[in-house]
Amino acid sequence: MRSTTLRLTAAALAVTALTAGCADRGGVSEDTADYPSQDITLVVPYDAGGASDLAARTLAAEMEDVLGQNIIVENRSGGAGSVGLQHLADSAADGYTIGYLPVETVMLGHQGYDVDPADYDLVGQMVSVPATIAVPTDSPYETLDDLVEAAKEDPDSITVSNSGAGSIWEAATRELGEATESAFRPVPFDGGAPAVTAAIGGQVDAVVAGISETAPAHADEQLRVLAVFDSEPSESLPDVETASEQGVDVVIGGWGGIGTPAGVPEEVLQKLEEAFSTAADSEGFQTIITDSGNIPVNVPAAEFGEFVEAENTRFEQLLRVED
Amino acid sequence: MSPLVEGFSALLEPTVLLCIAAGALLGMLVGAFPGVTATMAVALASGFTLALDPLPGLAVLLTIYVASNFGDRVPAILVNTPGTPASIATTFDGYAMARKGQAGLALTSSAFASAWGTLVGVVLLMVAAIPLSRLALNFGPAEMFALVVFGLTMMIGVSGGKVLKGLMAGALGLLLATVGRDPITGTQRFTFGIPELTDGIPFIAAIIGLFGIAEVMNQVLTHRRDAVVKPITDFGRWFPRRSDWRTMLKPLAVGSGVGGVVGVIPATGGDIAGILGWDQARRLSKRPEEFGKGSLEGITAADTSSNATLGGSVTTTLALGLPGDSVMAVMIGSMVVWGIQPGPSLFANQPDLVFSIAGIMLIATVLALVVSVLRMRGVAKLLELPHHFLWAVILVFCMVGTYAVGNSVFDVAVMLVFGIIGLFLRRFGIPPGPVVLGLILGSLAEGNLRRALEIGGVGTIVTSPIAVGLLVVSALALAAPLLRAAWRRRSAAKQDTDATVR
Repeated sequence: MRSTTLRLTAAALAVTALTAGCADRGGVSEDTADYPSQDITLVVPYDAGGASDLAARTLAAEMEDVLGQNIIVENRSGGAGSVGLQHLADSAADGYTIGYLPVETVMLGHQGYDVDPADYDLVGQMVSVPATIAVPTDSPYETLDDLVEAAKEDPDSITVSNSGAGSIWEAATRELGEATESAFRPVPFDGGAPAVTAAIGGQVDAVVAGISETAPAHADEQLRVLAVFDSEPSESLPDVETASEQGVDVVIGGWGGIGTPAGVPEEVLQKLEEAFSTAADSEGFQTIITDSGNIPVNVPAAEFGEFVEAENTRFEQLLRVED
Repeated sequence: MSPLVEGFSALLEPTVLLCIAAGALLGMLVGAFPGVTATMAVALASGFTLALDPLPGLAVLLTIYVASNFGDRVPAILVNTPGTPASIATTFDGYAMARKGQAGLALTSSAFASAWGTLVGVVLLMVAAIPLSRLALNFGPAEMFALVVFGLTMMIGVSGGKVLKGLMAGALGLLLATVGRDPITGTQRFTFGIPELTDGIPFIAAIIGLFGIAEVMNQVLTHRRDAVVKPITDFGRWFPRRSDWRTMLKPLAVGSGVGGVVGVIPATGGDIAGILGWDQARRLSKRPEEFGKGSLEGITAADTSSNATLGGSVTTTLALGLPGDSVMAVMIGSMVVWGIQPGPSLFANQPDLVFSIAGIMLIATVLALVVSVLRMRGVAKLLELPHHFLWAVILVFCMVGTYAVGNSVFDVAVMLVFGIIGLFLRRFGIPPGPVVLGLILGSLAEGNLRRALEIGGVGTIVTSPIAVGLLVVSALALAAPLLRAAWRRRSAAKQDTDATVR
């Protein structure tokens, strides 16, 4: 019996020591003029391997060259992205912890999570993922107008799949309904690919998803994209009109930028903005983002700030709890 | 043809081949140690392979999966302890053969049977995966829901004497699956304000806890340094004679069939197939009385059948996005992180991937067979390695691996909690496998049912012939054992009356 107690104690000690080893790294503070004098951590609030992670990693590699320091990408997923965003907000505002800010930064706060865009200083926006709406190729709906008319005639009868409950694509579906004074029935799936597959298989009437997910299926003639919710036509869908061109004034989609915890010294922020702009303009970054089907952009901090504020107000109204 | 060539040639990279070699070695090792299951090994490894590219990462995980299904036969035959649950049926005749002085023959013929079974499964994967994925476009939420229910009932229906405990474990998994956001409304459930729980219980952390930490703690409680297992030392002859091969032909065929079918059914794996294959071969055998007493036919059927499930499980996983067995449930977690979304769209986007996966499994099979046949004596020696070193290393791997997944101390805490839950399950003889399947199938069943209802109410389900068919078969599968028992009781009663009349 005694030896069992002894062994249990030993195991418990080992577990405690190992857990302590997993603790977080502390912040660093020093003279801002030398910035950056050591490695920078880039927090991505999603798992490695997704589209956000790809955009963040590609940009980080280009920013490394400009800043002359390593940028270590740290994936902190969970809580629909809120875990990583909260971690970023709580990090030291010294410029050595920066983060990837997705569209969820302005959505989660209105969905019951402790996320507020005011907690971040913005560096710039680098990627844009316009929403698209698509139907199966054998669908009776030929244009966006056909679909909207059907939804007006029999509200809530047109089923529209999306990547998940609370996602930007579900919000886009609601926005389309409100803008056209009709009502669609969003059906959340478990990820973008299953949502697109459901539309290909005719399980739902339509799908709202990012352009990178619907454009390949459109090219293979498995889906017919009816509209792109962007201000200008997309290169990857040359034969598809924007929603505005079809008389429905909706511009909505996912986006991604870089930010820091609020309160970073002005000098440091400026260096980050310069590095960001050079990296976002680089050919390496542009090629990889375009190849992944999304749109590389280079929006400077001030303009990105106005956009984030406008988006925040929009989602506050769009995501208000209805019941 | 081009996806086939592309898929295979993608494997000809040194990194991938190296990963296969590493996986084969690891797999044989974990298989040979009772307690370290393939599920646990793949879960532990996925903490580290996430840093790799998808193909090398899959190479490690799939090879562990295949090779552990060779290594686990060794303790099954030599010490009557299955190395992983998949070799439960191997013990029936394997250990009996070993006691008769035929350990060598048992080991080699088991390796050949396992290799044959895996090959059949992989061929099934290559032939059936793409057609099945086309069919899968007809599988909407309603059909998916019915298929998940079917998988669950099959798992319950065939788990034999352990039905009640299996059910309890499965129900626990289903309950745990309700933690997180509601799949349709997005409302938080059972998250107690902890943001980390809104995406559900961290899956990899939970399984590492259930399988890894739980077993480490179990060993802390039960391990005795002096209690060394004395493996069999008299191996007899190693290679099957021509007459042995002839005896093995029929069970090889029977095992391939049973294993292939069981593999394709979601959530059912090698342990169930091994037992079913063994049982079926006994019914069809000319010498059924030898089964369980050291029958070469028995061990051949069991091992062919249990390994033929591998290809089938991978097929279901890739084509439908439903886990074929508990190992694949773990692997889906890694695939999603790599950006490989199992399901019908996978074949449209990456048609060569299925052949790469088949190729990895083929190479793994050949490697495992070669190691098994040439180095079986060495593998057998492994059983003499002091286990306390092993468990200490596994503890470190559990902790580091879990932390590495998401750099999250919360995940480590979840793993430890599940370790304690797993320890209790173990001590009460409740299998942890159904918990994992319940956890993953629960959210699949709920999400798809809710989606189906959202699309067109109950009508979506009752108007789908596939869904109705699967649900009816599920109901029958659950009712069958009860009906059979009732029928047996009635005929027994009838015989009694007959006897009295006479």
